[in-house]
This record gives sequence, C-alpha cells and structure tokens, in this order.
Amino acid sequence: MAVGTDRVNTDFDTVVVGGGIIGLCASWFLAEEGVAVLCIDDGRDAGSVANAGSLHVQMQSRMDRLFPQRVADYEKTLSIYPRAVDYWLEIGQRLEQDIEISIGGGLMIAEDQDQVKRLAEKCRRERKHGVETELIEKTELLRMAPYLTRDVCGAVYCANEGKVNPLLANSAIRRAVIEYGGTILTGSRVNDIDQSRDGFVVASDAGRFRTRRVMIAAGVGTGSLVAGLGIRLPTTAEPLHMNITNFAVPFMKHLLQHAESALTMKQLNNGQLVIGGGWPAQPARESGAPGILLDSLIGNISLAQHVVPGISDLHIIRSWAGINTMLDLVSVLGEVEAIPGLYIAVPGDAGYTLGPYCARLVIDQMLGRAPDYPLSPFSVMRFA
Amino acid sequence: MTERELTIVFDGKRVSCCAGDTVAAALTAAGELSLRETHDGGDRGLYCGMGTCQECLVTVDGRPGQLACMTTVGDGMTVERNPHRAPLSVGATPKPARDRVTAEPEVLVVGGGPGGLIAASVAAESGAEVVVLDERASVGGQFFKQPRSMSRKPLRLDRQFEDGRRLIERVTRSGATLVSNAQVVGAFANRELLARDGNAVRVYRPQRLIIATGAYERSPPFPGWTLPGVMTIGAAQTLLRGHGVCPGQRILIAGNGPLNAQVALELSKAGADVVSVLELAPVHRPRAVKPVMRMLATEPGLTTAGIKGLAQLRLAGVTLRSGCGIAAVEATASGLRATFGHASSEGIQAQESTAVDAVCLGYGFLPNNELLRMLGCRHRYDAERKQLIVERRDDCQTSLDGVFAIGDCCGLGGAVTAMHEGTIAATSVARSLGLDISNVADREVQRAKRRLARHSAFQAALWSLYAAPRFDTELATADTPICRCENVTLQQLDDALAEGFLSLAEIKRQTRLGMGSCQGRNCATIALSRLAGKTALTPDEYAFFAARAPLKPVRIGELVGPAAD
Repeated sequence: MAVGTDRVNTDFDTVVVGGGIIGLCASWFLAEEGVAVLCIDDGRDAGSVANAGSLHVQMQSRMDRLFPQRVADYEKTLSIYPRAVDYWLEIGQRLEQDIEISIGGGLMIAEDQDQVKRLAEKCRRERKHGVETELIEKTELLRMAPYLTRDVCGAVYCANEGKVNPLLANSAIRRAVIEYGGTILTGSRVNDIDQSRDGFVVASDAGRFRTRRVMIAAGVGTGSLVAGLGIRLPTTAEPLHMNITNFAVPFMKHLLQHAESALTMKQLNNGQLVIGGGWPAQPARESGAPGILLDSLIGNISLAQHVVPGISDLHIIRSWAGINTMLDLVSVLGEVEAIPGLYIAVPGDAGYTLGPYCARLVIDQMLGRAPDYPLSPFSVMRFA
Repeated sequence: MTERELTIVFDGKRVSCCAGDTVAAALTAAGELSLRETHDGGDRGLYCGMGTCQECLVTVDGRPGQLACMTTVGDGMTVERNPHRAPLSVGATPKPARDRVTAEPEVLVVGGGPGGLIAASVAAESGAEVVVLDERASVGGQFFKQPRSMSRKPLRLDRQFEDGRRLIERVTRSGATLVSNAQVVGAFANRELLARDGNAVRVYRPQRLIIATGAYERSPPFPGWTLPGVMTIGAAQTLLRGHGVCPGQRILIAGNGPLNAQVALELSKAGADVVSVLELAPVHRPRAVKPVMRMLATEPGLTTAGIKGLAQLRLAGVTLRSGCGIAAVEATASGLRATFGHASSEGIQAQESTAVDAVCLGYGFLPNNELLRMLGCRHRYDAERKQLIVERRDDCQTSLDGVFAIGDCCGLGGAVTAMHEGTIAATSVARSLGLDISNVADREVQRAKRRLARHSAFQAALWSLYAAPRFDTELATADTPICRCENVTLQQLDDALAEGFLSLAEIKRQTRLGMGSCQGRNCATIALSRLAGKTALTPDEYAFFAARAPLKPVRIGELVGPAAD
C-alpha cells in the first residue's frame, strides 16, 4: 500500500478520510456498489471507537443549555433521528455478525414538577417536528421502570430509542468494507487535500493518492482539513467521560436520561451497565488518549446511583473518555457547492446514532440518486 | 491472633475458621476451591491471592463481587459462590453523595511493603507528616506479611517474619499514620489521589508522593491454568504465612526463580506433600559455580541461606527438577492432574503426569505501575523483560517533580532493593521539604547506596543462575484462555492479529481481551508479546492499555454512596 512520495497512487476512485462510523459505512456502501474506495484513518481523536452505543431520538437535555440560539434549527431536523435508528436496524439485518441492536425505548426522567413542565413542553415541540414522544406520569413510570428511584415525578418516553454494541458494529462494518473489496488504511494521517485538474490529491503519511472524489468524515479533524480548501467548518473536540460496571442481571431495557442533569444509562446485552451522559474529560495528553477527571467520575456515578439505587452493589470496573465532535447541533452533510467532488459528512448531535444514515444520504448524493432526506439544512455554507 | 474459632456458611455448608482468616484462607482450608462462575459456566478460584486478578470473587452477606483473598471472615458470615451476573441491591435508598474529605499530608506513601514502610519511617523520623495507604488488612506487603490467623496451626516464626515485625514497629513509632484496607481509586489532575478505606472516601493532595505499589505475579497461559487449585506461588505463600493454611495436601510447584524453592520448603515444613519443584532454568550444572561465587561475594548471608534452604529441601525429600516445566493441568474427579516434562525454548514436553490437589506457579513478577502511569510518570519499554520501567533520577524521583517511585513497581529488584530505595527516596523527600535529616538518615542513606549497588550485583548473578526461556504464549494451545477475565483464547487473539489489528487497543475492542475486571494485568504483556512477534511492532510506553480509574473495581456504594452499613 505505501507508495513513495514521488509517485502518486491512482488506484482509488474515491477516498474517504476518517474510519469512524460514518467513514466505515460510507466505504462499505461505495464498495458494495463497485466503487474503488480507500478509507484512511489516523487512529487519533477517535469518537466511534470510544462510543458507548446509545441510539438517541428525543432531544437531549443539554441542547437548550449549550446552544440556545441553535435549538430552533436543530428541532427542524429532529425527524432525521427516528429514520437514523430505523436505518441502524436495516444495516443490522444486512451485516453477517449480530451487532446487538435493541430498541427498548428511551426514558428521560424528571425529579420535580418544574422538570415535568419542561418535559411536557419538550414533548409538544418534538411531536410538532415528527418525533413521537409521550409524557408518562409517576405511577405508570414506576411500573415500566421499577428500578428507578421513588423520587421520580414523571418522564418522557420515546419508543424508538435504544442501543447498539459499538464494538461489534464497528468490527462488522469494517469486515463488510473489506469483503466488498474496499481498502482500509489505518494509522496514517491525511495531512493535506489539494484540488487538481480532474479531482483531488490526498497527501497522507502513507503517500499521495489522486482521486476523483473525496469524502471527509474525520470528526473533529474535519475543520482543519477543509480549511486548506478555503472552507470554514468550526469542529471542536469535546472529551466526554464514560463508565462501565461488572456484569449484572438484566434489569434495564431502556436508554435512560435525565431531564436536567447529565446522565445516560443503559445495560448491554452481556449485563454490563454503561453510565455516561456528557460529563467532561481532560483533553488528550501526550499519549493521545484523553484523561479522566475526578469530579466527572464521582459526579456521574453519584447521579446514576441516585436515579437507580439498586446499582450500589455493582462495581465500576473501568472509566474512559472519547472525543465528541461539536458543531452547532446540526449535521454538515453533502457535496460542497463550490468544490464539486468534495463531500463532507460530520454528524450533529448524537453522531453515532446518525452515522450510518448520514453516510447513506451522502453516498446517495454522490452516486447521483436523490437522498432519502433533504440535505438542504445540512450545508457547510452556513458557517461561511 | 486470637484463639477464637468462628463459623461461616459457604453455599449452605458450615465452615469453621479462625479469627483473622481471609475468606480465601478459610475456604481453602475447608477444601472449597471453586469460588465463582464464569459466563460460560466455568469455575474459578483463588489465583493471585493479593487482590489483583479478580478471580476469587464471592458474594458476602448478600453483597456480590467481594474478593475472597482480601475479605476477613466474621462470625456467622454468609458466603456464596459469585454468580456471573450480579443481582441489584434491594431495600436501602442511598443518601445523596457524601462530602469528600480532603487530606493534605506532607508525604503520602502508597503501599505498605518493605520499601514503603522504610520510606515512611525515614520521612516521619525526620519530622515529616506522613500517611501510608495500604490495601491489605495489615501492613507488611507481600514480603513482610505477618501471621494473621495463627490459632489454626503453630507456624515457626522465622527471620523474615521477625524483620517485618521490627520494621512495622519502627514505622508505628515514627509517627507515620498507617491506613489499612485503603484502595487507591485513581490519580487525577494536580496530583490528586482518590482513595477509599473502611471509613471514608478521601482526596489526598500530598506535597510529596512516594509510590511503592510493588509487583504482581505473571504466568504464561497453558491448558488448565484457570482451574481452581492452580494459583500463584505468592497466593500459596500468603495462605501459609498469613493463615497457616496449605493450598492442598499434594502440591506441585512450577516456574522459575528462588522463591519457588523457598515456598516449597515452607509448605513442606507445614506438613504438605510437595511432589516436585519444576524449575525451568538448568540450575544444577557446572555453570552455577561462577554466579554462586559472585553471590557469595556480594550477599554472603542471603546466599548461604539460599544454599541451606536447598539442602533442607532435599532432606525433606522434595525433588527440585531443573530444566523442567509444567505443560498442562486438567480437572479430575478427585482433584487435578498435572502434566510436565523437559523444558526448552520452544516449550515443555508432556512426559509425565501426577495427581495433585494444587499447582503453584512462580514465573516471576510484573511491576504494578498503573498508578505511576496514571500520574503521567514517563516510562520506557524494557524489551528483554517485556515490561515498562519508570524513568527515575538518582534519588528515585520520577519525571514528575515531587513524585518518587521505589521498589518492585519500578521494574523489580526484590525487597532488599526496595528498602534501600525507600531510604534514598525518603531522605531526598525530607531534604526537599526543608527538614533536618542529619540525625539518622544521612548515615543510613550512604549505607543504603552502597548496599544497593552490592545487592544489584547479587541480583544480576542470581538471575544469571536462574536464566531460563521466557514463555508468553508458547505454552498455550488454541483454546487456552489468554485473557482470564473475558475468556479470550489464543485462537481469538490470533484471529484478530490475522485480521490486521495491530495495536493492543484495537485487539481489545475486537476481542474484549483486557476488557475485564483485572484491567489486562494478566494478559497485556502476553498479548503484546504475541503481537510484537507477529509484526514489526516495537512496543513503547503507549503500547499498553491506558491506565484508567478505577485502578481496581470499586463498589459504587462505596465510592459515592452512604457509608457501609
């Protein structure tokens, strides 16, 4: 694979930069249709490999806090989330390996009447934008989820939320790429992308590649890559904290969230409980891996035990941090108008949920088909 | 050390035991070896005996996931085999998280073994305010562990016990605060350490930090190495020296190094039938003369004690078969059957087999450096020993100012080395704190430096005598678990390598190797060796699994919830 810097490799029709969930899915879909595709990944600042596999549909509680001025635009594209979950189910069927998708429904719980009121309002807005959620009152909630604290006051239920095992999914999709004849090059960084007469030259640690089309799905690295082509895209890294327990008896089928505090909880098929929800981690050190913060470890676990008291005898066996790519809540998807042949795919909030569907939409556009969901809200030009 | 007899109930059966027993000691004495079930219905039992491997988990008084080797028995305690999947706790509604207590000692020593205790003594005697955190019920570490349940069988108190007792007396007199049963959860930004003990969760913000976390044992995986009754030599020694319990009646010892013969002699004196000591190194050849002369010149006392020990072992009728190793263990109706034979660099020939109750493995140690790595101390990879070695200055200070590392967590050298390094580090710590070190420590530090140099020469000669093939995956077959926690076999590891995954992190995500409760302590070096052997990879500091909090599994209720009931 490695080529000398003086020779330009011309074997690939399309180069996909980034081997996370979007890049792998895009490479799979292209290879499946006979396109000579190279997926190149540097193995740094990875999001997908550290992801915990929540499939989110309803609006997460931190949106209003983080981007109050962007919530209106974000809401308009809410209907992409249920479709993205449906698409996960579709690819799950097509993959040879079981990737443990389960759609057990999602609960966002409230602990006081003020939170209930806000959840009711959130529900109204979600339904208006085509996302089916419903407000559940305390008695019904405790019947559905007897593991919850008695302090709970109500919740929003969203039937099509769930989870997937990202370890299995990433690995199965990678195999699919290779099986269909795609090429994956890991551990090599793409340093520069130049426009040439009839396409692009992608310069990487493993040599240069001349190609007709480039798709950049490099998460937080996307911004600096497209900057060289004169495109503004402010991708920022948000290192987030996660925890996992030992194996427990199956008791939680829901994806659990909190109306006000940073918390997600779900139980993997093997019984392990994954606890997260957006607690910060330390930016990457020399080792390339982000570090763990004391307050996040204690804060996250305290909140989890408060909401689900029965977990107090489980053990935290590991914590880790992954990089979430922050945009302005809304994805950037599709061909860059000013540079034909250049495609960007950076998902907005809940990128792992959106990954396969976003890859599908962009590949359809690339191959001249009408995407299943309008790409107009996702143009990169909004940052120009 | 009371005479009191206690009773616990294990899976419905009454088991009598002694005050001071660990659950592991009590159950081993009662012949109960299978302590937990794996996801596929397999059995596991006591393995490392020191809270590292997470294999001996039991349910204690309804609370799952407790380490049998670290839990002290109480009268009427109910112990059950640990289920693979823990039930939720019922009843108690946890109170909101406790306030964290912070402590800001001048000097924090992590690890109460020989090195940590000397360092704490010297620092405290110089007037420093010192706290020692130790994860066991009583200090002393693996080397100086003291008898805890002596009523079972009178154990002759030897020199090692006596030296340990004196050291513990010295540290107690020095004014250092000893905190037992203390688990360090992790190290965080600004050098904050989070630790929990029986009473509280505390954040330590020490001015100086001395890490003396010791080592844990390694073994190459081979068929049957996960069976209950197969344990490390250290686990066996803790059962015996701490509790007067032998791991079984008929015992086979296998591995490499002088510790195996020492424990064989101790077990034999305690009445066990030590079938054989299988020593990988061909120690009884003429080539032994030169190293032994060198050892006599540098550490005559230790050397003559070793030679005397080997003679006593022979007199006791225990055969030491050099150039031999263990190939496999299988479970039989009445216990275990071990297969063994001649060792070469390719592996071990299965030539003979014998029925035993227990197999003790002593293949040497790995530095327990996770806390050092979590702190961010720079390490280098030692290609010969296949482990990370922390970088240190002359005074044992690491690449981080004010963080010192001593003893076996720095790359192994034994208890004597650890003690000399403890003196050197503590003197530097005291000096840097502006304390007067003229009285004892200055003399002591000169002596320590001289003795350390001599002892290093002794160690070099000793290990040239015991030089043997280093096995990683050579003894495993395709279906041998490499990762004990997640039961990942050699075949699965090789499949991942064949698929092109070329880092330990990728292999972990692909196979779950290293993803279990021991955090890869057993399998990381073994898998990395396989990986390096099949590729051009040269391991470095970042080739290992990232060290992450919690260092060892921590119960949620203990970390954040109300105090234990």
